[in-house]
Amino acid sequence: MLAFMLVAGLSAAILAASSYLIVREARLSDSVDRALEQSRFNLVLAGEVLDDHPTTAQTNELLDAYERRGTFAVVGRTDARTFSSSLSLAPAQVPEDLKQLVAEGQLAYEREEIGGVPYLVVGGRVPSSNTELYYFYSEERLWDELAQLRNILLYVLGAVILLGGLIGALLARRMLRPVAQASVAAHSLAEGLLDTRLPVESEDEFGAWAASFNEMAEALEAKITALSEAQARERRFTSDVSHELRTPLTALVAEASLLAEHLDRIPEEARRPAELLVNDVARLRDLVEDLMEISRLDAGEARVREEPVDIGSLVATAVRSRRWDDRVSVDRDEVVVSTDPRRLERIVANLVGNALEHAGRDVAVRVGQDGLGAFVEVTDTGPGIPPDRLPHVFDRFYKADSSRAGPGSGLGLAIALENARLLGGDLAVWSEVGRGTRFTLRLPVT
Amino acid sequence: MDERLLLVEDDPSIREIAKLGLTNAGFNVTTASDGREGLLHFHQTPFDLVVLDVMLPVLDGYEVCRQIRAESRVPVIMLSAKSDTVDVVVGLELGADDYVTKPFEMPELVARARAAIRRATAGDEEPVLVRGDLEIDPGAFIARKGGEEIGLTATEFKLLLELARRPGQVFTRDLLLQRVWNYEYLGDSRLVDVAVQRLRSKVEDDPKEPKLIKTVRGVGYRFDTG
Repeated sequence: MLAFMLVAGLSAAILAASSYLIVREARLSDSVDRALEQSRFNLVLAGEVLDDHPTTAQTNELLDAYERRGTFAVVGRTDARTFSSSLSLAPAQVPEDLKQLVAEGQLAYEREEIGGVPYLVVGGRVPSSNTELYYFYSEERLWDELAQLRNILLYVLGAVILLGGLIGALLARRMLRPVAQASVAAHSLAEGLLDTRLPVESEDEFGAWAASFNEMAEALEAKITALSEAQARERRFTSDVSHELRTPLTALVAEASLLAEHLDRIPEEARRPAELLVNDVARLRDLVEDLMEISRLDAGEARVREEPVDIGSLVATAVRSRRWDDRVSVDRDEVVVSTDPRRLERIVANLVGNALEHAGRDVAVRVGQDGLGAFVEVTDTGPGIPPDRLPHVFDRFYKADSSRAGPGSGLGLAIALENARLLGGDLAVWSEVGRGTRFTLRLPVT
Repeated sequence: MDERLLLVEDDPSIREIAKLGLTNAGFNVTTASDGREGLLHFHQTPFDLVVLDVMLPVLDGYEVCRQIRAESRVPVIMLSAKSDTVDVVVGLELGADDYVTKPFEMPELVARARAAIRRATAGDEEPVLVRGDLEIDPGAFIARKGGEEIGLTATEFKLLLELARRPGQVFTRDLLLQRVWNYEYLGDSRLVDVAVQRLRSKVEDDPKEPKLIKTVRGVGYRFDTG
């Protein structure tokens, strides 16, 4: 657009400047021609009035005659005497080189500004008289007219440039509109507005291009819709399955718990299977409960009920209530944060339970606060996790020891991580084979 | 022990095993398989305890609980589907004394049932407490405000008695769970919070600006006499 304005402006400027110069030249030379012609006539007239050595009366008569003709002033010099038709003009104001030329007998002219007025001064000798006459033709009007013309041309030039810019901008916008539209459309597509489409308005390259853009957007939308539907179906399925499982599971758990109370009264040969049944029902219960919790977390149904919580005493209570005191040491400062105690308890129980599962004993829990916020460290001296498996410990159904023999559901750490994030915190793991593993829960202090 | 217990549960397996477990534990159990049948039984015979599933056909557990509460202070335990959603709180706000999350083990349900009944039985021969315009009679299990009897459930009465016995002392939620609900570790602090809310709505002049039962932020509750 700028280029268009430049081209339009430049050509208009050249046009204006050259027409101004041509007109000026023509007017100036025309003015000279007229002045010379009139001067010749005036000199002839002077020759008839003046003698060889004119008297004052003669020069006065000449001045009177000139005055009747009007339009110019005259300065004369005869012998040693000078005379002038104007109070403000004197022979001293005649340019020297003009005097020189006139002294050589030529009819000559020169432009001179005197007292702020531009004059064309024409000088010549009066034939058969020892007299030189200088005519002062005012060119004030001519220069005014030229200045006016210049101003008009400048105004027109400005208008042309503005108009050119405007037209250029309009043209450019019309030409570039499809590109701008495409840019906006690509942005909104990238931001997830999958129903974004471009109008196909023309038969040219832009039209074809818009059509392919729309095809691409359509394919993308279909693909993403299918994917998210599949994901939603999968999640709904998990949620439905765990809900449907709950009723029979509730019966199973209650039944198994009664069975467990009476194991010693069961005949020898059925006792072991009954024992296994009781244990497996407990495993199934853990799995289904974990599945339900993670599907609630996935569905965004999880609620956070914050209250001021002393993390240290919460951890101590969690350990004591599970009768882990003999195998777990708790080193705690008083750290009070605003958080959901149930979820925090769940995370802590998960981490400590996990550590006990792998190390068996000597699990150390440390509760404290540093510049980054509150933390709970759960450290065990178990076998540790190999580096290639470490990044996957928070994956669902991932078990670090691939034998899958552990009692956990495989969802515990994933749930702990989700809960930690729900509380505005995070969960990190450090491990070294042969030395042990440390999980660090971080929580914001508000 | 021969407490009469009404069990309302629609799933036949759960109903049967729960009945078996509770009967083994010494309860005299009557069962119902939907809400309306449950209310019919409730109106025919007096019960010492009601165990009520939330999801019931015909009339759901909340509605049954509400109707029972309208005419009786019998302890109610809800069998709730999930522990971390509104279900629990809604049940408690309608006047349930406690809840047990499915799936549950029988010893847990039995322990909760016994604790609920223990709360509902009259205390020892303690003298009548007078706190401001409140009169609390542990022997008769009755509280009066300005001379008029207030309809408190057994749990609400125990909670009021516990707090009013030691004015000025701060009770943590855990301590109240132990003293009122008789739970060590088992309980959920929401039990305390909801029960305090309900109690305030009955004993305070303005429950939004409690003068008697004050909240001690981040810790628990305290009884003041204005």
